[in-house]
Amino acid sequence: MAEVLFYVLAVGAVASAVGVITARMPIYSVLSLLGTFFCVAGVYLLSGYQFFAATQLLVYAGAIMVLFLFVIMLLNLHDEELIEDLHSFARVSPKVLAIAGATAGGLVLALIYASNPGAPPGDAALAAARLEGGADDLHEIAKVLFSRYALPFEVASVLLLATMVGVISLAKRERPREARGMVPTSWPWSATNAKTMSENPLTQERERELVSSGSASE
Amino acid sequence: MNVPTEHLLLLSAVLFGLGVLGFLLRRNVIIVLASIELMLNSANIALIAGSRHHAGVEGAHLDGPVLVLFVILVAACEAAVGLALIIALFRLRQSVMLTPAVAALETSPETTP
Repeated sequence: MAEVLFYVLAVGAVASAVGVITARMPIYSVLSLLGTFFCVAGVYLLSGYQFFAATQLLVYAGAIMVLFLFVIMLLNLHDEELIEDLHSFARVSPKVLAIAGATAGGLVLALIYASNPGAPPGDAALAAARLEGGADDLHEIAKVLFSRYALPFEVASVLLLATMVGVISLAKRERPREARGMVPTSWPWSATNAKTMSENPLTQERERELVSSGSASE
Repeated sequence: MNVPTEHLLLLSAVLFGLGVLGFLLRRNVIIVLASIELMLNSANIALIAGSRHHAGVEGAHLDGPVLVLFVILVAACEAAVGLALIIALFRLRQSVMLTPAVAALETSPETTP
């Protein structure tokens, strides 16, 4: 029964992954991605990793998917962007398409042939007991995470902080310096005081320099 | 579940291949980002398959799952930064369309504006 369910989920994951890369509108692509995430979470659950199925649903299907949908709704996309005719598939020459397909297919074949795992190593009875009762004991995971992987864990927290700062500085709308209150409007080089800017002796000198260097280079 | 490890790895490889195709061929930058998420997810399936395969080995059966946690963390960071980049790109060009990598390879320089 679980085996049948696994193959159903695998086919569902692949089908919705095909939907991700062939959807004409980004919203349908992202919703297909949601289907892939659900199927992959089911695969984790069937493999005996309940905690990771829950994490997959919370982080991917919850947080990341909301982020994607939020950005799609936020961007005021034009019609020609909403409906992308798949001309990008058609416009590339068959040669390049064949190269891309051969790369992907070759990767698949290489992975299948290279990963010939054979019989599972170790104690078979122990493996069966672990997988049956859930292979991811949270207590065990926490012990490993905070002992052997303590340094990567701390580095991950730094990565999260850097991401937060980077995202804020990337997505922030650039406003003129006056609007941010950094430069008083009465200063001669503020944009609202352009008239005084041209009368500023420093600016005039700089302009003369520019003109003379420009004529000299000609 | 008595599915052989090879089948889990096959699922992972097929999803990764589809992600590569979407990354190389699509023009919409949102779908390109979705393809990257697909590839990261397929890597997670391979890690889970490997640690399930080695569940009987003492002392090593939790390394894969911990790595899956880190991959999920990095994927969340990458999605946040990528979507912020998309917003910045849209603000700059009023468009989210890219030249796909393979099309950029084959267009001659004089045809590109």
